[in-house]
Amino acid sequence: MPAMVQFVCFFLLPLCLCIFASMTDWNVLVKNKNFIGLGNFVELFGDSKFWIAARNTIYMLLPIPFYMVFGLLFALACHKEIKGNKVFRILYYLPYVSSIVALVLLWKWLFNSEFGLVNQALGLLGIEGPNWLGDPVWTKRMIVIMIAWKMIGITSIYFLAALKNVPSTYYEAATIDGAGAFMRFFKITMPMITPITFYLFCINIIGSLQTFIEVDLFTTDGGRNYGVATVIYYIWQKAFNYSQMGYACAAAVVFGLMILLVTLLQFKLSNKWVYEGD
Amino acid sequence: MRKMRKGITALVLVVVMGISMLAGCGSNEEDNTGSTEISNDQTPNQETQSGDTAEEQVTLNFMGWGNDSEVATFQAMIDAYEEKYPNVSVEYTVVPDGDFDTKMQNMIAAGEQPDAFYCGIDNVMKYAATGNLYDLSSYVENNDLFDVDNVWENAINIYRYNGSSLGDGPLYALPKDVSAFSVVYNKDLFDAAGITPPTEENPWDWNDYLEAAQKLTDGDVYGTAMYSMESAVWSNGANWLDDSLANVAFTDPKFVEAFQFVADLRCKYHVAPSSSEETSLSSYDRFMQGKLGMMGVGSWAQADLWNNCDFEWDLMDWPVSPGTGEKAVWFGSAGLAVSPESEHLQEACDLIAFLAFNEEAQRTSYTTGMSVPTLKDMAYGEYTEMDKAPANKKAFLNVLEDYGRLATQSRTFNQEWWSEFNSGVEAVYNGEMTAQEYCDSMVESVQALLNKSVEQQEALK
Repeated sequence: MPAMVQFVCFFLLPLCLCIFASMTDWNVLVKNKNFIGLGNFVELFGDSKFWIAARNTIYMLLPIPFYMVFGLLFALACHKEIKGNKVFRILYYLPYVSSIVALVLLWKWLFNSEFGLVNQALGLLGIEGPNWLGDPVWTKRMIVIMIAWKMIGITSIYFLAALKNVPSTYYEAATIDGAGAFMRFFKITMPMITPITFYLFCINIIGSLQTFIEVDLFTTDGGRNYGVATVIYYIWQKAFNYSQMGYACAAAVVFGLMILLVTLLQFKLSNKWVYEGD
Repeated sequence: MRKMRKGITALVLVVVMGISMLAGCGSNEEDNTGSTEISNDQTPNQETQSGDTAEEQVTLNFMGWGNDSEVATFQAMIDAYEEKYPNVSVEYTVVPDGDFDTKMQNMIAAGEQPDAFYCGIDNVMKYAATGNLYDLSSYVENNDLFDVDNVWENAINIYRYNGSSLGDGPLYALPKDVSAFSVVYNKDLFDAAGITPPTEENPWDWNDYLEAAQKLTDGDVYGTAMYSMESAVWSNGANWLDDSLANVAFTDPKFVEAFQFVADLRCKYHVAPSSSEETSLSSYDRFMQGKLGMMGVGSWAQADLWNNCDFEWDLMDWPVSPGTGEKAVWFGSAGLAVSPESEHLQEACDLIAFLAFNEEAQRTSYTTGMSVPTLKDMAYGEYTEMDKAPANKKAFLNVLEDYGRLATQSRTFNQEWWSEFNSGVEAVYNGEMTAQEYCDSMVESVQALLNKSVEQQEALK
């Protein structure tokens, strides 16, 4: 019952309100809204800024394979009983639980084009570091690096939990049958952790598509030529900076449907590779 | 079976997460039901108290933003106000300024706006046009807390809105503060380069400014920060928009000329830091380190300049365009407004008037270097006589009294066209495009967004 109330209040009702608002010219500040049919949607599809934002949003998916692979490697390293690996587990987790504002401040220092450690290090290698914070292309790359760095830890914790759940009897049986370490990994470990891998893919794709706060903190107005803005940033600006809540809701509906599509597609494909037990 | 159940659970989970940002649009209303309950609790309370005492006991909600020192100043003023009006108690809420407008809009949507609140100048038109600001005109005429003639006329008039544009008509907010924007220069660097600063009667024109900047630029010292576009454009007799504020006007040769002058400081004469130098160390910080000769500076920065500069500095008036000889620049302000939905309008108006024009607070504000006084007699009297830099305090006051203007983007319903115009100006500053090419390329998209702003404003009439 409480679950139902929660579902209606925080999901169904806002969703319906949003769909309704997407067909009005609501601006939040006045009570009355005029019904304008699909006008917002027509305008949205014609707005080049929305498509720039959509492209930038897709860019934010790039770090996912990277941190999934490294997350798994870290988890495997931690899985072995080595002294002090508990300390490493905590360290991996730190970026994820740190305040994003603090992290952004830190990264602004690291990636400062003249005085930052990153460009200093590149300088030692004889490479002239780019203007990370001023050039939108490089700002986007920097955000992607930051996301990867931040997500490796939490991903490895998930993988570690999955690894711990693989019954050791499987390995013992395989060893007796003469399987080597590689065989054991690819024939036992990999299939056994596919459910968690699938889950991580789903939530990470959604999470990446919703990138917002980094854009807000690293840029003003989405960067030069709107080059860093994501869809959520676009929606937020329209809703609260430019008083076009109805229009923003239309963008949110379109974007929500896109995410839904991607996710459904993933579920469809999951039959092919996710091992769900006997 | 097990597989299917798992699949469904996961699907529901994913969909909920996926659309949780949609929920963001609506859930604000849920948020606010919380605060509704709180204030409903207060209302009966007030009524019972008003029933048995002659003087009604009133609670006002007041919402603002600000750093620690501003909050402390306001809390002290509120305490003084409560002492003066013992029947009123004020609930003071501080919201980070980045979240303020979002929060305010949610509160309005939920019908829960505070009685009195800060209102940034960019938002005055938006809130006034949607009926969310109380008309203060008659209050100002008949109040005993301040004399409106003693307040900078410019600073009062920017809060007037006549239904189509700012500047005249009913008054919707009182200036919480005023900030003048002037040119600060490093006296030590000037002396070393043998430059004599201009006087008020005999201001520099752009060529003099450029010449001085060239003399100052040496090694890692730059002559100037990027120049104020507003000052250059307005001084040259141009503007971003035409007088109706409904059409873009930045293809005007006078606009382009001013824009190119600003850009040339960086890309042609190299007397201002390059774009990557600017992102790694802002001109402001360069100036503070004694590595920059001249820059635009707001009156809010006085405290920082007092405390952190180990060189002599002073102000000059903005240079003029050689074409017109006119000085121009913007000035800023944040307002204090009252909600028309407030049940205690008189008390709320008294509160904002008290906060805006309280002499003791004004004094604290200028002696701590946060701003220049909003009251003219104090500005020309004790502020000007104060024994602290800058020597030429009149440069700030000239902006307020004489040549300061309200920024163009603050005079339109929303500012999206302005963001659009500025989204690529770096290309001109860096010399990748000429001002002419850039302005020509932006006409269409900026005009489209401006139309949208006008349309939104019209829809409210």
